[in-house]
Formats: sequence, C-alpha cells, structure tokens
Amino acid sequence: MSSSITRRSFTKGALAGVGLTGSGLAMPSLVRPAAAADRLLVVQWGAQWIEISEEIVKKYNETKDTRIAWELHSGGSAAIVAKIKAIWPNAPYNVLSVWDPVFRDMIAEDWLEPIDESIVTNLATIPDIFIQKNDAGQKMTVPLSTAGAFWGYREDVLPDGFDSIEDLLRPEFKGKVVVPYPINLTGLFIVTCAIQRGGDEKNAEPGWEFVKELAASGAIGQICTSNSEFINAMASGQYGVGFWNNGGWFATAENFPVKIKNRMEDNKGFLYNEGFCVLKGSPLEAAFDFANFFARPDINEMYNIPLGSGPTQPGATANPKIAEWYYKPDELEKYAYIADYAFLGQAKNEWNERWEREIVPLMRS
Amino acid sequence: MAFARTSAGSRSGTRASRVNGVLLLPALVLFLPLLIGPLAVLLDESLKPYEAGRIGGTEGAELTFENYTELADPAYVHYFLDTFRIGLIVTLAAILLGYPIAHFIVRKASPWLAKLLIASLIGMLFLSLIVRIYAISMAYGPLGPFNDVSWLFGIDPRSPAKTELMVIFGLLHTVLPLVAITLISTIQNINPRLEDAALSLGAPRWKAFTSITLIMSLPGILSAGIIGYAFCISNLVVPLILGKGFVLFVSNLIYFRFSEISNFPSGAAISILMMLISLTIFYGLMRLVRDKNGEARE
Repeated sequence: MSSSITRRSFTKGALAGVGLTGSGLAMPSLVRPAAAADRLLVVQWGAQWIEISEEIVKKYNETKDTRIAWELHSGGSAAIVAKIKAIWPNAPYNVLSVWDPVFRDMIAEDWLEPIDESIVTNLATIPDIFIQKNDAGQKMTVPLSTAGAFWGYREDVLPDGFDSIEDLLRPEFKGKVVVPYPINLTGLFIVTCAIQRGGDEKNAEPGWEFVKELAASGAIGQICTSNSEFINAMASGQYGVGFWNNGGWFATAENFPVKIKNRMEDNKGFLYNEGFCVLKGSPLEAAFDFANFFARPDINEMYNIPLGSGPTQPGATANPKIAEWYYKPDELEKYAYIADYAFLGQAKNEWNERWEREIVPLMRS
Repeated sequence: MAFARTSAGSRSGTRASRVNGVLLLPALVLFLPLLIGPLAVLLDESLKPYEAGRIGGTEGAELTFENYTELADPAYVHYFLDTFRIGLIVTLAAILLGYPIAHFIVRKASPWLAKLLIASLIGMLFLSLIVRIYAISMAYGPLGPFNDVSWLFGIDPRSPAKTELMVIFGLLHTVLPLVAITLISTIQNINPRLEDAALSLGAPRWKAFTSITLIMSLPGILSAGIIGYAFCISNLVVPLILGKGFVLFVSNLIYFRFSEISNFPSGAAISILMMLISLTIFYGLMRLVRDKNGEARE
C-alpha cells in the first residue's frame, strides 16, 4: 500500500498548521496567568552598588514576589542614555539607578514617568531639594543617596599629602595623579580646576589652563573611565592622588588609609544625588513599589552604608566612617559646590573634543 | 560543431550562475538587513547636525558634512595615524614571532610537541581578553615583576611612552596565536622536499629557506597579517584599559561619542571614515595577496 499526498490533503494540512501557529502566537496576548509575578529590569552600577542592592532585593522578595533582573552600567551611567535612545520606545529597562546629570538628560527627552506619591509614600520625608522635577514641576526621581566628588590621597603612598591642588604641579607628584576622563562625572574635574583658578563651570577657561599645566608637568598618571578603573588604579599603589566620587574613595578607604581633601581653602567639594527613576512603559505599580522600598528609612540606611554615601532620609544614619567626608550645615557655603548639571550636560561634547585636541597630545609629548 | 559546443557551454554557464544566484539568496537576505541596513543608518546619522545637550542627531534638520570636516583637525589625524601605526607594529611583531613558531611546529617539533604547542596556541585564544589584559597590566605595571622590561626598548617605565608599549603587548598577546595558527597551515602546504632538493644541489640552508619556503609562504604571511591587522585597528578594550587615557584608538573615540556623550553624528562620521580607510587598506592588501598567490603558483 502506497501513501500519496493529494492537493486537498496538503492544503488541509497547511491550513491546519497556519491555524495552529496563529493561535499559538495569539495565545499569550489573550490568556494571562492569574497570578503572574511582575518582572522589573533594573539598571545599577557594579561594585558595592549591585552587592547591596541584591541584598536589599532578598529582603524585598520576602513580602513581594516581583522578580528583579539586573543590568549593570558599562562605564559611566550616561552610557545608558545612548542605549535607550537607540531602541526608544522599546527600551526593556524599568527602573534606572543614575545621578543628577543623567536624570536631567532623561527628563529632557521625556522618557520618565512622574513619581506616583500614592505608592512611593517614602518620598514625602526626603528633602524636596534632592528631588529632580520636570518643567511642569512634577517629581521625577526617588533620591536615595547624597554623594560627592572630591580630591583625596592615599596617606601611605604620599605621607605629606597636599594642601592645594596647585601643589600637584610639583615634581614629586609626577605620574601620581588619577583623574576622570573629562566626560565622566560630567566634567566636574574641569570644574574643580576652574574653581582653583577663580572660574566655574560657566567660566571654564582658567580650568583648562590649569589642566594643561597638570598635563604638561606629567602629574597625570592615569585617566579613568569607571569606578572599577579608579579603584584598581588606587589599589595598585602606583598613584597617590585622585579626583573621584565618594564610592570610589570609599572602596579605596576600605583597604588603604585615605585622606579626603574636601575642605581646602582654595577649592570645593561637589555634591549631587543618586537615586531611582522609572522609565515610561514600565509596570508602574511594581516599579514604584520597588523604588519605595529602597527609599524606606531603614533600607535607605542599609543601602548607603557600604556605598560611603549620605542617606537621603533624615531618619537614616550615615556610615560613621564617612562622617568627615560630608559637610555640616554651616560648612556648606564655604566648602561645598552644587554645579549646574544641566549646563554641564550641554558642555560635555565640547569639553570632550577639547580634551582630545588639546590635553591628550600634551600628555603624550 | 565548435559553435554548438560553445553555445552549450554558455547555456550551462548561465544555468550555473543562476543556481549560484539562488544559493546566494539566503545569505543576501541575512546580509542586507544585518550589515548594509545598519551601515545606511550610520551614514544617515553621520550627516545630521548635533545640538549640544541632546541625545543623537537633530531629526529633520538640513544635512551637513561638518561631522566629517572637523576630523581634519591635526589631533584627529594623529589618532588615526596612531591606530594604524600601532596596529602595524603589532602585526609585524606577530609575524616575526609567529613565523618561527609555526615553522618549528610544522618542520621540527615531534608529533606530541607539535600537538602540545598547537593546543597552547588555541588555548590562548579561549582565554578571556579581559583576563589577559589585567594579567599584562599587573605583570608589566609599576609594581609587577616585569616593570623594567621597558628599558629594553629604551623607554622609561614612568613615562607615557610605557603605556604605548603596554598596548602593544596587550594586542600582541591576542594577535600572535592568530597569526601563528594561520601560518601553520600555510607552511604545512609547502612541500619540504623542494627545500631538500635545493640543499642537495648545493644551495646554502639560508638560501634554500628564503628562496623557497619563505617566498612560497608570502601569501599566507599576508593573509595572517590582514587578520592580525584587522583585529588590532578595530580593538577597543586593549587601548581603553592598557592605554590609561594616553593612548586612544579611533575605536575609543567612537565609543566615547556613542556611549558617553550621545554625539551619535560625530561617532557615526568617525566610524564611516574609519571603515573607508580600512577597506582601502584591505583592498590593497588583498590585491597584493592575489598577485603573490599567482606568483607562488607560477
């Protein structure tokens, strides 16, 4: 007995196949599991940020079944902006851990959901000055940390340290200074150099002159583009001085004696906030609930202690090891500086090109 | 009769080319959206003006060549030259070191030693690039045991020139096994009896080697060089980590623009320019390989 395929049987089979495929494809949109847990993709920094966040999520999952997947920032957190732009509005991310300048970029692009304060109830006790808002005055961020960028040095490598960054031009500092690539920390390195010579972010020319002197003197030993690079560089013992954020300094201070130079007579320390924001198109209830958990005073304290950052909840206690790193209210005016991050966001392209054209050739000569 | 044969030949040729065309279709279907499509988007982006503070090029604005003209600045010419120069140094070093290794494996090593050496070369390729880079950084860094090796090249270990040496070491570590493995197959395909014949006719060993084995392996050397050079000039991670901000490759300039400052048009313009220069170089090298292959066959 031989089997043969007739045109009718072939057509019937093909139609049945198409029908089955079609219904299979349509099924997920028609049928939803009754109690499926929400899933959030959260972007976070590496090193101690992800370590403590994972610990906090374990606590969170004791009461909530939201599944959290992590993606780490590669390089500076500004890189996530380019990734989102390339695929917007289909970005897979839901909650982003970034800092003030990146918040400003994303608010300008209208990518963020205003914070729903009926869910993020812990936002009520966070000082309003820390919260980034859109043009309509809506709150767009959940600040979790008060962080800073400071000069500092390893006391075991350079026991005599320095009193002013002008000292770094001296021969004994040759090759000892670690600085960020000018677009990392959104150009704060150029701003600190500008402040040193009487300028600021909007009058950066004196800063560029100082950077040129530093580069020509051979003081700059490494230019870092990420926290990990800075931590590795300072751990190597090759370099003694750096300008970096509190997270990098805190990791260094865990292993080596570090002196933060945030109370210099002729310079300033920079303050800013890090925290969460929620991208449009996310499962909002789950995303805001997750952010709210991190903003709870006890969790806020737990989050900031290993980061070496100040908590944003007035009820949370700061890590006693970093008490000296931040300013008392009466010191703020003299030693602290809050840069115009919206301006810096606009200047970073020009500053990057200046660095490539004027500074790198000087350092290599 | 001759005409009939010719026309039958041309018919079968046409049929063969049709079949080839059909067989190529699946590859073309994949190739067009995966390569040509993104390149067209990149070209379009490179012609858009960039507004400071925004993310990507300005949509709907008049197209401009400004992103290309600004690359005429001597500093940028220097970055391109640096990339090609360091790539060339590494490629030449890889050929100089890789050829004797390949020759030894094919002609001198015992079978078990040859297997061991080939396995080691392949094993090196399986080792993560990041692991190798940090190993080099630690070993040749200021606190590493080989810090003073730079004196052999007349370079003060504390000078910025040392970072260039580190980048060269980092690239060489990956390119050397690639080049050596490519050269093994080249040398294997050269009949050793040709060299023996020259020796039996009284040619000195060096002459027999240079005029037979070396000349016949030139196409393979060029192919290995192309592979090594392509790897070097397109590398991002090695100059990023070992260059310490002093040595910047063109790939680093592109990365910063796309990743950190969101100036996509400038990043796209550098990418397109880099691609054109690279294609020109490789086209020239491929022609050279073809010519040398022809000579070697003759």
